[in-house]
Amino acid sequence: MSVTVRITQRPERTLRVQAYIPEVIRGLSVTTRQMLRNLFGGKDITTIQYPEVKRRYPERYRGLHRLMHRDDGQVRCVACMCCSTACPANCIHIVAAEHDDNGIEKYPATFVIDELRCIVCGFCVEACPCDAIRMDSGVHVQPFLDRDTAFFDKGELLSRGTASIATQGGTFKGSSHSHH
Amino acid sequence: MPTLTINGKQVTVPAGTPIIRAAAQVGVNIPHFCYHPTLSTPGNCRMCLVEASDARGLAASCYHKCTEGAVVNTETARVKAARQAVLEFILVNHPVDCPICDQAGECKLQDYYMTHDHKPSRVTTAKNSKSKAKPIGPHVVFDGERCILCTRCIRFCDEITGTSELTTEQRGDHTEITTFPGRELDNAYSMCVTDLCPVGALTTRDFRFKTRVWLLSSTDSLCTGCSRGCNIHMEHHEGEVKRYRPRLNPEVNEYWMCDEGRLSYQHHNLGRTTAIRLRDQREVQWPRAARQTAEALTAAVAKANGQVAMLTSPQLSCESLLAAREFASTVLGNATVYVGGNPSGGNDAFLITSDKNPNRAGVVQVFGPAILANTAYKLLEEMEQGRVQALYLMRGELPFDTAGRARFAAALSRVALVVYQGPHGLDLEERAHIFLPSATHAEQDGTYVNETGYAQAAYAAVPAMGQALADWDVLSRIARAAEMPLSFDSFDALHATLAATIAAE
Repeated sequence: MSVTVRITQRPERTLRVQAYIPEVIRGLSVTTRQMLRNLFGGKDITTIQYPEVKRRYPERYRGLHRLMHRDDGQVRCVACMCCSTACPANCIHIVAAEHDDNGIEKYPATFVIDELRCIVCGFCVEACPCDAIRMDSGVHVQPFLDRDTAFFDKGELLSRGTASIATQGGTFKGSSHSHH
Repeated sequence: MPTLTINGKQVTVPAGTPIIRAAAQVGVNIPHFCYHPTLSTPGNCRMCLVEASDARGLAASCYHKCTEGAVVNTETARVKAARQAVLEFILVNHPVDCPICDQAGECKLQDYYMTHDHKPSRVTTAKNSKSKAKPIGPHVVFDGERCILCTRCIRFCDEITGTSELTTEQRGDHTEITTFPGRELDNAYSMCVTDLCPVGALTTRDFRFKTRVWLLSSTDSLCTGCSRGCNIHMEHHEGEVKRYRPRLNPEVNEYWMCDEGRLSYQHHNLGRTTAIRLRDQREVQWPRAARQTAEALTAAVAKANGQVAMLTSPQLSCESLLAAREFASTVLGNATVYVGGNPSGGNDAFLITSDKNPNRAGVVQVFGPAILANTAYKLLEEMEQGRVQALYLMRGELPFDTAGRARFAAALSRVALVVYQGPHGLDLEERAHIFLPSATHAEQDGTYVNETGYAQAAYAAVPAMGQALADWDVLSRIARAAEMPLSFDSFDALHATLAATIAAE
C-alpha cells in the first residue's frame, strides 16, 4: 500500500498579521458586538436565566431512576437482575427474596442504586423485562453533599414511581393476546 | 460394529449404539431434553428427531440404533421444521417466567428456543395453571408450569437411587410430576434432579434466588465431604462460593453427588476466623506474626526436650501435608506427627463413604502407612499425661464426639505452647496461644487422593478471606522467620517436590 503525501501551504504571515494591533482590534470587535447583542438584542440570546428559567428537557431525557408500581402499589420489580447485569458501572444492588404472596414469588428485598457511580446510560431501563425501572422522571441528578445520600433505596425510588400502563406478566392493558 | 454416515461423516460404533451417541463421536450435537446417557430412554420429548435412511419417518436419535450403511442427516429442512414444531408445542403451556426462574441462563429450553425456534408465540388461548413454587422435599422446589415432562427426575429416582419417590399424575397437558402420596423427595441424592431437569421445574431450595447463574464463575474442584472426592464445578461470584455442582468423572462420581456434599460449600463462607491472633494481640500483620510464632516455637522446642507434637489432618491437600512433614522435621525439631480429621459417619453403596475426610490416602502417601497409628486419641492421652510441651495444630477437625472435643480442648491447657492454624476457629481458637488463619480448599490449589487411590486436583477458586493464607505459605513464612527455610518457595515448586517425593518413595 502506497503512502499518499499531501503538501499543504501554510498561510503567509502578512505585515497586517505581524503588526498585531489590527488583529487585536478585529478580535475585540467580535466580542463587543456579542456583548451589545446580549445587552440590547432581545430574543435571539442563547443564554437562559437558570435556575429562574429552565430549559425543557427532551422527552427521552434520562433523569433520576424511579421504580414503577403494581396496581396495588407494590414494587413491579421481580428482582431478575437484568438491570444490574447490564449496568456497566455496577451501581445497582439487588437482594432478591421470596414473597409471601404466591402470585408474586420473587421480589427485591432491597434495591439500592448508587447514583454517584451511575453513568446515566439507561441500559437498566432497556434491560428491564417488566417496566419496573425507568429514568423518565425528568429530575436531573442533584449534587450530593453527603455520600450516604447518594444511595437511593427502594422506598426513595418508589416515591418517584407511578403505576405502569403495562400489565405484570407481559401483556399490555386492553390487549387479550399473551405476548412473550 | 455398524458403520454409518452422519452429516457426511463416517463413524463406526458398537452394535446397539443410539444415533445420538454416534453423532456426538463425530462432533454433531443433537438437541435433546429427555435423553440422558445413564438413564433409560423413553423418547418422549421428540426434540432429537433426525432423518435416517433406515427409518420410516423421522427417527428419535436417542433410541434409534445405528445400523450398517445408514445415512443420517441432522440438519435438513424437515428436521429443522420438526424441531421448531416440538419447541412450539412445548412452549404452548410454558409460562416463560424466565426473569424469576433460577434456571434462566443454564436452561436447555431457553438455549434451544434461541437456536432452533426463535419465533413469537402464535398461541392466544390461556395457559394451563399448575403447581407453583411447591417444595417437594427438603432440598428441592417444584414448578409444574415450567415442567416439560421429560421424566428425567422420575427415572433418576427409579433407576439411580432406587427410591422411586416421583411419578406423574393426570393426562395430556394436565400431566404433572408429583411425589407418591405421603412421600417427599428426600433421598441422599435428591438435588441431582435439579441438575438433570433441563428447565426450571426442579430447582434447589438452597440456591433459590441467591444469584443469577450467568454471574457465576466456575472452577474445577473437588468435594471434601468424604473420601469419595466427587468432582465438582465450584461456582462463585464476587469472591464467595455460591454452590457446588457435580462434574462428570466416570471413574469417581459419574454425573452425581450427594446432597450433604453439595451443601458443604457453606463451610467456605460460614464460621470462618480470618484474623491473626498472637496471645492477646490482635490486628497483627503476617511479617510480625511469622516472626513471633517462629520465636515462640524455637524457644518452646528448645525447652520441650523432644516433647513436641504436630496434628495434621486428612482434610489437607498432599502439598500442605508435605509442607507439614518438612516443617515438623525442621522447625519443630522432629516433632511426632499425629492425624486428626472428621469422625467417621454413615456410608452407602453408591457414593457416600464412611471416612468424612477427602485425603486420608494422601496422608498415607506423604507420611507412610505407619502414621495412621498416631491417632488424635493417642495425642489426647499424651497431652493429658503432660508429655506434650509444644503443639502445632493444623485444622481443628477432630475424630471425637462432643465430649471428646471438650476433653481435647481442656487438655490443650496442659501444653505450654499451642499454635493453631486453620480456616475455622471452631471451639479451639481461644484455647490456642497463637491462631493463624489459613485458606479453605476453595482458596488454595491442592491434590487430594480419594479412597480408591485417584489423585485429583482442586484449584483455587476465590481469593483467601481476610488474612488467611494457603497452608504451605503459613508454614513457609514461619520457617523462613525461624531461619530454617523450607525447600520450596512457591506452590508450583512444592507440587513438583511432591511429585518427585511420591515417585521416589
